[in-house]
Amino acid sequence: MSLSRFLIKRSLQGLFVIWGVITVVFGLRFISPGDPANVLLPPDVDPEVRAQVIAELGLNEPLYIQYWEFISGVPVGDLGLSLVTRTPVTARVLAKLPATLELAIAATVVAIVIAIPLGVLSATRRHEPADYGATVFSLVGISTPNFWLGVMLIIVLSVQFNLFPTSQRPIGFDGIVGLLTSGNLDAAIDGFGTWLWHITLPAITLGTYFTALITRLTRSGMLDQLGQTYVRATRAKGLPETLVRYKHALRNTLIPVITVIGLQLGTLIGGAVITEAVFAWPGLGTLIINSINARDWPVLQGSLIVVAVGFVLVNILVDALYAYVNPQVAYD
Amino acid sequence: MADNNSHINRRSYLKLAGGAAASAALAGCTGDDGEGTETTTTAGGGNETETTTTPSENGDTFDVTITQGQMPSGLDPHDHRETPTTIVVLHAYEGVLTRDADGAVQTALATNYERIEGENAVRFDLREGVTFHNGDELTPEDVAYSINRVVDEEVGFASPQSDQLAGVAGAEAIEGENAVKVNNDGLNPIVFSEFATYLDVMQQSWVENNDKSYIAQNVNGTGPFKLDSYTEDEVVVFSAYEEYWQERAAVDTLTFRAASEASTRVNQLLQGETDVIVNVPPQEVSRINNSDNASIAAAPSTRIIYNGLRYDLEPFDSVKFRQALNYAIDLESIVQNILGGFGAQTGQPTLPEFVGHNPDIDPYPYDPDMAEQLVEESGYAGAEIELNTPVGRYLKDLEVAQAVVGYIDELPNVTATVRQRDFGSLVDELLAGSIEKRPPWFLIGWGEATFDGGLVMEALLASDGTLTTWKNDEFDSLLEQAGNQSGEEREATLQEANALAHEQAPWIFLNQQFSVYGVNNAIKWEPRSDERIDAYAMSQP
Repeated sequence: MSLSRFLIKRSLQGLFVIWGVITVVFGLRFISPGDPANVLLPPDVDPEVRAQVIAELGLNEPLYIQYWEFISGVPVGDLGLSLVTRTPVTARVLAKLPATLELAIAATVVAIVIAIPLGVLSATRRHEPADYGATVFSLVGISTPNFWLGVMLIIVLSVQFNLFPTSQRPIGFDGIVGLLTSGNLDAAIDGFGTWLWHITLPAITLGTYFTALITRLTRSGMLDQLGQTYVRATRAKGLPETLVRYKHALRNTLIPVITVIGLQLGTLIGGAVITEAVFAWPGLGTLIINSINARDWPVLQGSLIVVAVGFVLVNILVDALYAYVNPQVAYD
Repeated sequence: MADNNSHINRRSYLKLAGGAAASAALAGCTGDDGEGTETTTTAGGGNETETTTTPSENGDTFDVTITQGQMPSGLDPHDHRETPTTIVVLHAYEGVLTRDADGAVQTALATNYERIEGENAVRFDLREGVTFHNGDELTPEDVAYSINRVVDEEVGFASPQSDQLAGVAGAEAIEGENAVKVNNDGLNPIVFSEFATYLDVMQQSWVENNDKSYIAQNVNGTGPFKLDSYTEDEVVVFSAYEEYWQERAAVDTLTFRAASEASTRVNQLLQGETDVIVNVPPQEVSRINNSDNASIAAAPSTRIIYNGLRYDLEPFDSVKFRQALNYAIDLESIVQNILGGFGAQTGQPTLPEFVGHNPDIDPYPYDPDMAEQLVEESGYAGAEIELNTPVGRYLKDLEVAQAVVGYIDELPNVTATVRQRDFGSLVDELLAGSIEKRPPWFLIGWGEATFDGGLVMEALLASDGTLTTWKNDEFDSLLEQAGNQSGEEREATLQEANALAHEQAPWIFLNQQFSVYGVNNAIKWEPRSDERIDAYAMSQP
């Protein structure tokens, strides 16, 4: 199967998944407790005012009409209006997406940069102190809840030693690019410094579990590959050990690692909720929490659709990369 | 000046006004950790009392950042019902009247307010020389339009605040004068209280020339701060308005941010990234007080936390059983150990700052032996009961509920459990419309905007009240009687009603909630009981 046919097939599957997510999320609002009108208005508000607000929000329409109105807007990017701010959901969600993407990608970069070398080191120095160190690190990393880690990093590194800010995102990557394109190089460099300074702790917090996971995966994959007969054959052929390890063994190890990285990146986009709350990071996670608290269903639906789309896209991308990394894998 | 010329049935009026007065009574607390709001009110009208706040004594300006639990839902002052939004927009918009930190009515955009003889109407004489942030002068038409925009759906939109001006029919500019006439449906005895708490004045042409979403993202008020920038869900930046009709604010740049996690807010404060934070949880108090750069500021709020008990269900239909529950809990310990001292014990539905509070009533003492004996006498020994509590709505609500249940469960003849509830679904049940549909035993908080114990009891204990779970003819008739009285006479009747409520124990009386803030030591600011954070009143020590 050609790459383009593969992408079309996977995209259609992805659309089906996204439709499923939309339908489930839409259905959830009707079995969840709490009427949006009761959250938006005090309980003793005049019944007429309540009825007006409910009508204005379209909450008194039959279910199938509400569903149709919602789903028919999705293909054209119309996710409706927020119940609380009455602003378009699409704009609101898209405004938050860069912050979450930045955080997810930064966490992934932290994870890849640390985990793959560490995993390789651990596998090639098996039963040596470096291996024990890496193993203990990954055990601790996997077992540490990230809300605790985030709070601890803030208390120690921010409050105690004053090395990092506790929270906020004063400038985004889009802002830095904006400065760059306007030719203001010094400001862009300053902006990048500020951005890096603010994103370091959230990225570490979000990425630690991920780092530990990839370290373990790389270590066990490498050990597995290094024991294979083809590795023995390459060694027997007289290839230098570096080439054996990095060209042959590592490349094969990376196949499952890339799968996990892809899946985890999708998870990170939707799973940064706690980290965002701890660092007051203005991304999708914060938006999701606020919209749940306010029963702002359109915003919640919109956020989850974006997360679902992100997840599906990353998965398609990972599958496409798969064949690139391992030509034995065919697009089917 | 009190309104003594009221001949309408006050009780029926209060029922009408209840919606306005208790604007945020229950659901107003839309923030985390029980962030709530009520605004201080005292009924009456009168002549000019100059606003007493002065911004800066030494003339230096400084910047302030305030971090709340959530960001405003928008900046249209007439299109919201939440405290965090009110706190933000009140820096840019003002009403004809306002209140000082103690809740007394003060003039703002009006210089004089009075009833118009022979009519169900009042007039506000407006201050000269007030300008909106766009430079245009305030006109009586703007004030009248703002009032109509709230109360009249035809003017603009269906404002969720329309019942905050209950009894107000509409307004018009008085021809040839710098004054506005407000027409009421009836006498509307608390009209000035309503205007002191609500109604932000907007410019008619600015509202009419812009669409709703623009108005929700921009600001054009007469207040001490004008908008510099607003990023939805992230940050609001104000700067001092140089042409303000009073002295320019000492605060130069005023920034509002939000962090939903209390520990994040505390860390921001300790790190100097923000200057004022809301809702400091008790366990974080010592960390702030032990720091070099910040300290705790707390004030009693107008919110009472209590356990409602349904009078028509076993075992709560027994007065002795209900009293037993009050004797069973160590309220002092709950206030000290769970709320960290940031609360006050109550023994009656009316808080000490409110009209009608009975100073002779003490909270129920902790007496488990008496509780056990009363349970036996009630005939309900062996009862199994379940407390419905919201989580994260009020300060330490779940912990308080667990403590209450723990004490009661310690009685050898009662078994008690806690059921955690989603606030929305609990409120749905509480608003079910009749006592029979409400939960048998629940924890809830109620804030009252008017500092009036009568309104609290009307809503929570009168047999036809919004959230009532009690029916007592003697109590009902006392409230009826108070509804036709005024002044000291009314106060005495309300005190009698409080004594009856204490004795009959329709609730397990819990605590008055405090508002607890963390404040940077570089800022001098006193918290208010109405939960407003007024940056105009901030100065440097």
